[in-house]
Amino acid sequence: MEAFVDIVQGFLGLGATVILPVVIFLLGLAFGQKPGKAFRSGLTLGVAFVGIFLVVDLLVNNLGPAAQGMVERLGVSLNVIDVGWPASSSIAWASTVAAFIIPLGLLVNAIMLITKTTKCMNVDIWNYWHYTFTAAMIYAVSGSIVQSLIGAVLFQIVCLKVADWTAPMVQDFYEMPGVSVATGSTISYAPGIWLVKLLQKTPGIKNLNADPDSIQKRFGIFGESIFIGLALGIVIGILAGFGIGEVIEIGMAMAAVMVLMPRMVKILMEGLMPVSESAREWLNKRFGESDITIGLDAAVLLGHPSVIATALILVPVTVLLAVILPGNALLPFGDLATIPFIVAFIVGAARGNIVHSVIVGTILIAVSLYVATDVAPVMTQMAQNANFDMPEGSTQISSIDQGGNIVNYVIFKIFDIFN
Amino acid sequence: MSKPKQVLVACGAGIATSTVVNNAIEEMAKENNLKLDVKQIKIAEVGGYEDSADLLVTTAMTKKEYRFPVINARSFLTGIGMEDTKKQILDELMK
Repeated sequence: MEAFVDIVQGFLGLGATVILPVVIFLLGLAFGQKPGKAFRSGLTLGVAFVGIFLVVDLLVNNLGPAAQGMVERLGVSLNVIDVGWPASSSIAWASTVAAFIIPLGLLVNAIMLITKTTKCMNVDIWNYWHYTFTAAMIYAVSGSIVQSLIGAVLFQIVCLKVADWTAPMVQDFYEMPGVSVATGSTISYAPGIWLVKLLQKTPGIKNLNADPDSIQKRFGIFGESIFIGLALGIVIGILAGFGIGEVIEIGMAMAAVMVLMPRMVKILMEGLMPVSESAREWLNKRFGESDITIGLDAAVLLGHPSVIATALILVPVTVLLAVILPGNALLPFGDLATIPFIVAFIVGAARGNIVHSVIVGTILIAVSLYVATDVAPVMTQMAQNANFDMPEGSTQISSIDQGGNIVNYVIFKIFDIFN
Repeated sequence: MSKPKQVLVACGAGIATSTVVNNAIEEMAKENNLKLDVKQIKIAEVGGYEDSADLLVTTAMTKKEYRFPVINARSFLTGIGMEDTKKQILDELMK
């Protein structure tokens, strides 16, 4: 018995990049995959972690000193780097508690379907990383696996409930019958729906609107991550007082981060895909015939012209907010590409009205910046636990998506009080 | 040898859902010995490929009209009706 405990403890001590691949291998076997295929998934996942760590290194080591330089020269204290959801999801999956989340999430969804407490069959296993993140955060402050899993389940229940609440809007406005969206990045901004309703009754504002096509033409550049990376890198380099050679270098490095990060996450996706397909089949077989909606990634909503237009405007707005809001320390970067996810429900509630969506989006992103600033110490700690190389000194990391997630924050704070 | 057909695979963010479709199309191409130039992109970036693309397969919704055919691949995410969509894509590629 003692030997067994030693083995388990030795295994957990190996570090996250080894644990999750092994877990994915075992899960694959449990779902009846061939050993070769399951092993390949696990290995791919491990490779993805290595890749993502490399890119985060590139980001933090370039942007970190520049952010410090900016602090010293201008007194703009934006020393928390927004690493973006690709890194956040890896930090989440790299946590010790991650192994439990996929089976637990499936079980919770199944129980809620059986008890008819939700209609949403969430086949979007990839976005279980949001639940994992909540768990990982609570684990970082409590060290308790039980507490962190309770937190994850609470977050999942909120996701499914919001998915039920917004399903009629998804079906009417986005014309997707039978589909609901339980993605953590999007459901957190569902309170924006009430703000939209308020604006729709406010005289003077209620009739304002804008045309998505002309906005796409004028702001289109903000939709291309590679240019955002280059431009932000150059501006920050100049503000930090770098020489011209260094300015170009940091611009290049930031463009590289924006392009490489999604590629790395693609590998992570490939590793998770066989398990996520098996899980989807498992759910479909059991609940596919009943009266349900199918929970998909919010990405399916993002092609709407009004979503694209709103998100494009909000990219420069977010950067501006970060600079002018007193007390904010987050330097927006990685998640500038995630803004469409933030506004998907808001645009739907506004029935495509871009002016209303931008106003509400601005308010909610401001809240997210403060939330992301507040959780930065915990998130930096989580990254260190996951063996990310964090720079010495006062630079921290956080992210708008999930770091700045309002629902996650409320749940985390409740647990934080008791620890 | 003719130029390989350019297939755009697009989703909201160009990562999560499109990877699923991307892998399926690459497998189909291998099975049927097709030479394809598959580009995995964000739906907002389709404009940049207006002149070169032969087909757009997307999990996101799109309201625009393009000069190439558009196939909705949401079935790849739900797992329901996937074979029909695959056939639809293959028919388009064989043209």
